[in-house]
Amino acid sequence: MRAEPVGAEAGTRPLRPAARPRSRGREFLQALPWIGPALALIVGVVFFPAGVMFYNSTRDISASGVDRGSAGLSNFAEVFAFPYFWPILGRTIVWVVVVVVVTVVLSLALAQLLDKAFPGRRIVRLAVIVPWASSVVMTTMVVYYGLEPYFGIINTFLVDLGLIQDPEGYGWTRNAGTAFAWSIAVAIFVSLPFTSYTILAGLATVPSEVLEAAKMDGAGPVRTYFGVVLPQLRAAIAVAVLINIINVFNSLPILRVMTGSIPGYDADTVMTMIFKYIQNQHRLDVASALSVVAFVIVILIVAAYLRVVKPMREV
Amino acid sequence: MKTLRGIGVVALAATTALTLASCGFSNDGGGGEGGGTSLDLLVPSYSDNTKSLWEGVIEGFEEENPDIDVNLEVQSWDNLETVIATKIQGGEAPDIYNGGPFASFAADGLLYPAEEVVSPEVFADFQESFIANEQLEGTTYALPLIASARALFVNNELLEQAGVTEPPTDWDSLLDAATKVSALGNGIAGYGMPLGSEEAQAEAAVWLLGGGGTFGDESEITIDDPSNLPGAEQIKAMIDAGATQADPGSTDRSPLMDIFVQGKIGMQVGLPPTVGQIEENNPDLDYSIVPIPTRDGSPFTLGVADQLMAFENDGDKQEAITAFFDYFFTGDVYSDWVKAEGFLPTTKSGAETLGGEEALAPFLEVLPDAQFYPTTNAKWSATDAAFKALFGQLQTQPAEDVLQQIQAQVDAG
Repeated sequence: MRAEPVGAEAGTRPLRPAARPRSRGREFLQALPWIGPALALIVGVVFFPAGVMFYNSTRDISASGVDRGSAGLSNFAEVFAFPYFWPILGRTIVWVVVVVVVTVVLSLALAQLLDKAFPGRRIVRLAVIVPWASSVVMTTMVVYYGLEPYFGIINTFLVDLGLIQDPEGYGWTRNAGTAFAWSIAVAIFVSLPFTSYTILAGLATVPSEVLEAAKMDGAGPVRTYFGVVLPQLRAAIAVAVLINIINVFNSLPILRVMTGSIPGYDADTVMTMIFKYIQNQHRLDVASALSVVAFVIVILIVAAYLRVVKPMREV
Repeated sequence: MKTLRGIGVVALAATTALTLASCGFSNDGGGGEGGGTSLDLLVPSYSDNTKSLWEGVIEGFEEENPDIDVNLEVQSWDNLETVIATKIQGGEAPDIYNGGPFASFAADGLLYPAEEVVSPEVFADFQESFIANEQLEGTTYALPLIASARALFVNNELLEQAGVTEPPTDWDSLLDAATKVSALGNGIAGYGMPLGSEEAQAEAAVWLLGGGGTFGDESEITIDDPSNLPGAEQIKAMIDAGATQADPGSTDRSPLMDIFVQGKIGMQVGLPPTVGQIEENNPDLDYSIVPIPTRDGSPFTLGVADQLMAFENDGDKQEAITAFFDYFFTGDVYSDWVKAEGFLPTTKSGAETLGGEEALAPFLEVLPDAQFYPTTNAKWSATDAAFKALFGQLQTQPAEDVLQQIQAQVDAG
């Protein structure tokens, strides 16, 4: 990507204002051999599949995958007419908001801890990475089996403590409410490492002079944190929240594993519903339409977040 | 997708929202490598042995037909139908496919009629009742590969402890026996009822058809039918009486069978491979296999046959496919394969060869009374999916509502 500054420079700094309109195209052509592969990759793996998704959402595709012609907007009509659509959308928002908020709050605390020097810090820092390094499906399966009645270790533990009366345990993953709650817990668990490390990186940029100054002015630890440290973390938190919103919204495996055997649509989010359209009903067209809806929702959420919180504004 | 064919884009798998609903692409591909013919074979995994069993078959076949290459692809049952749909959409259907419902493929005109891809002698060897189940408007589109029937597995020890002397034969005695076994406490369940998404349609058939109901036929799916209500109501009665394990609505079959094998469930409907599973994991279990209890005690079992079907694609591999089917269904190749997988054979010669197998005897016995899913109905796939997604709601919702919802999803599909 060393070639990029040529174009970037011309674009941002108007060195030769008069010549710009004509030379811009030429400079782009000159840069093309260097940025070409990256552009091709972006087009191939981002724009092309997205385009196909939009295209499929307006087609009538049979259960075995044959395109039977245009369907207009009837797939979208079906998505919105589905009686469980609005509850599912509401649940998706609960899912995203709870997971992201709790993750960020816990990560702030965790990052503060990891920022302090204490014996064994390196090991603790490594341990925090573990949920990130292991497969999400595997992590979820471990919890899922732990929650199984009869042989799950979590269930057995709760039975042994006397918190559950039935000797075979409680069907945590068999009931929509509890399965959804446990999914949220797992999602928070696997989101913590990335978020903590992003915030930890932010903490490293807080200059020690500022902290000293706060101390000199007589601010206590609480005041220092909320008045000095937290505002400086704005950019780090913004990145963490944005990426988490997109990640959590698009997360399928956790809910798929934890709520997969539950009948009906009482534990579904938009993502698992897309999956059900494909996997159970073979409705590739309707699934594409719902994907388009999901895509728009994510864009709206992110736009609203950027607009309301203005996280990228200079501190 | 035809317009996009030949672009030759290798779709990189990605699981973001952007690509979740997109499909795979490929170039026209196919045979013609090095002059010989190549056959793509897509099969599901029945057991850990499936892959090596097919590899053995292919090795023997390629030895006899050196100019034909067979490419094997094994997928899990969970993914199979998604994989085949994606392949078809990408214009890359396999030549031979081992799967369940074939009607939607036949309706889209993708399949060879079975008689065109197998020699008359081999075709005549299949049991007529099974062939009848593979027909759509008089044309046979698939060859029955294996069959299974269901029967009630009974834990003799638990029934004895509960004071039940005879295994139940009808619903009343089943409810009575299951309630008594459940009353033993200590986490023991009387009847194992898996209505979870894994195979809800099977447990549904056991009850709805066992109560004189019907799923419909080749031309019509009738789930919301008054004749299905007794079965659905009886399921609710079993649940309400506490005769089943907890949360039957979301319990999957395989994990529940494990609990039966561990000896904590009084009775559960099982399949021929269950015998081997018990032998392997808990050989000390004292159990017997009896016919499934029905409403009035009349004999009934749910028969399921999985099929082999041939996709037409470019229409130039008919001979190679015929050679493969003839090789596979002849003599010991077939009976060894069926025996190793622990299922029931669908050919007359296979039934003769395997008739002496003791573990299969209770199932071969109930096979004449088998009822099948209406797999020839193009809507069966949608019905199957609707059962998986919705039938478990019986635990909490009225029977009529659940049947109506299933019917509605089928009609929309």
